[in-house]
Amino acid sequence: MNPMAEITLQNIQNSIIKGISVKIRDGELFVLVGPSGAGKTTLLNMVAGLIPYDGHILVDGDCVDALPSFKRNIGYLFQDLLLFPHMSSKKNILTALKRLGLSRQEKERRVGRMMELFHLAPLADRLPDALSGGEKQRVALARALVSSPDLLLLDEPFSSLDFRTARYLRLNLKRIQSELGTTMLLVTHNLEEAQDLGDRLGAMTGGRLEQVGSIEEIMFQEKSLEGGFLERPNLLSCTYQKSLGNGLVHVRWAEQSLFVPEDGAKSFNKVAIHPRHVYISPYPPPGPQVNRFRGRIREIRHAGGMAYVEVMVEGHQLHAQMTTEQAQALSLSPEDFVYGILKLRALHGC
Amino acid sequence: MKGHTRGAGTGRISPRMLPVRTSDGKSMQPLKKAPHGPTLLRTILSKSQRVTRKGESTNKAMNRVFAFPLLVLFLFTAGVLLALFLRLSPGEIITALKTEETRFALNLSLMTSIGSTLLALLLGVPTGYFLARTDFPGKVMLDTFLDLPLVIPPLIAGVGLLFLFGQNMLGARLGEWGIHILFTPWGAVLAQTFVACPIVMRSSRAGFERVGPRYEWAAATLGLRPSQVFFQISLPLARQGILAGTVLGWSRAMGEFGATLMVAGAIRFKTETLPIAVFLNISSGELGTALACAWVLTATGFVLLLVLRWIGHVPRPEILPSR
Repeated sequence: MNPMAEITLQNIQNSIIKGISVKIRDGELFVLVGPSGAGKTTLLNMVAGLIPYDGHILVDGDCVDALPSFKRNIGYLFQDLLLFPHMSSKKNILTALKRLGLSRQEKERRVGRMMELFHLAPLADRLPDALSGGEKQRVALARALVSSPDLLLLDEPFSSLDFRTARYLRLNLKRIQSELGTTMLLVTHNLEEAQDLGDRLGAMTGGRLEQVGSIEEIMFQEKSLEGGFLERPNLLSCTYQKSLGNGLVHVRWAEQSLFVPEDGAKSFNKVAIHPRHVYISPYPPPGPQVNRFRGRIREIRHAGGMAYVEVMVEGHQLHAQMTTEQAQALSLSPEDFVYGILKLRALHGC
Repeated sequence: MKGHTRGAGTGRISPRMLPVRTSDGKSMQPLKKAPHGPTLLRTILSKSQRVTRKGESTNKAMNRVFAFPLLVLFLFTAGVLLALFLRLSPGEIITALKTEETRFALNLSLMTSIGSTLLALLLGVPTGYFLARTDFPGKVMLDTFLDLPLVIPPLIAGVGLLFLFGQNMLGARLGEWGIHILFTPWGAVLAQTFVACPIVMRSSRAGFERVGPRYEWAAATLGLRPSQVFFQISLPLARQGILAGTVLGWSRAMGEFGATLMVAGAIRFKTETLPIAVFLNISSGELGTALACAWVLTATGFVLLLVLRWIGHVPRPEILPSR
């Protein structure tokens, strides 16, 4: 049972989507990131066959454009899950097996497997109303996966869950993906989620697929990020010193030492870090003296409830990002001296 | 009752849904199943509690003034009912209830109204679904047109039916096939169906609209064929609206008089439904049978009202997906 499939979108478009072509590989978890209104959900609805489109969708080379939704064998985890409120968890999952015409034992076996995979056995007879947010999510995932679809579409699957549940399910999804090998297309506006999950990433804005690539490629490419949805990371020019052999690499930047997680064995002369992982404060923060710096604020810009602080460290430019409230609480103003930390695990050599 | 939907809180995380953990780290039962099928008593009690809670927030001074029209309205209704029931002693009513004529009228009313309600369901539910899910130019006009039977006086509707099924139009052709509608119980069914259809249609349409098409999308992605989607997803989810429409439509059919009088006539022991029986017996001065039939009709109406209340209160799942 290995429902891998290669999915190809060829110049998909309608009034919202402006021509998207992408190939999703066998057993891959492809993440589409973009702000709300970028047309992510619309694209998923098209792939699922729920709304009309121009262009072609191929599953393992076979065109499915003419097939109505119920013949496509594409699973869909809707943002609002849409568990049938009049059916128990188990019946919800069983519903997805109707089309396959399986024997009763086979149905029971498959549902049992899903229930086990998602730890749903104790919830089998509950109505969706009597489930917590995370439990509902698991039932919906089991329902979408039980018929071994060629492709699973996931629409903002974790956005409505609290942080812990979301993280738990995120890890679970990775486990399940590696266990079942189902090809998945996930959309999210959450960059961190995308980084956590995706094998490859597509950045979408205004109905267009701006970029496709690995997380490293997308996050830390200097070019073409300006004005896009993805915020431009800090790129620090450094000199490679040596690998410490404990998963860390020692580099020099702005006349000080930095420790960067080792990524393979390659040496690098640039380190990327997202502005939200740069912490600054007017006072020396407590804790170990690792990846600290001291600098002077050059400019503070406010946009959309966020403050973007430009700091000069020994003549090197560095951006930090925080909420406007945080900036006010720290009473930061230009020309102030600040102390800062570069979050160790958020540093990427490139 | 119709407008009663759960408020904005249809999001998936309400506090009661978060998993509860005890100090020893074991997960507690998150919440008990909502009690299904509440007793009538509980239904009525909870209704009154809700009214009281609402009243607290309103303008008390004005409510003291408004208590007066309320009292008048109450006395008005009570007066009418008492006038109906005090005219004869309970003994006389019971005797009248047992007469053959009353029993015939009750029987005929039940048969015709059940038949017409089924017909109305057959026509109204699919129409309601169609209107809930389709948009087309002129929909408003069609919609208004289909609602016309609600506002046409039944008597007028009866005249129309009389002409339509009369010898000059459909009646002759139907007669050739041996189908006689005018002045038979079938005429009563026809008249009742005409008035019940728009009620069933409107109510089930509201039911389908409240659920929206997204559950059907989900069902389609799970591989359910369109017919399976309708019967296994759309219909059960809209059951509240359909049930309410059935009850309302049936009560209209039971009480239908004007159109029935025109199409089926008032023929003793042939087309004598309960309202027709009341009419015939009042005309001929036989108060006993007339009032017995009136009793039955009133009691039926009361029971149906209670059933409606209960339908409005059946704990139903959150059928509004948040968008």
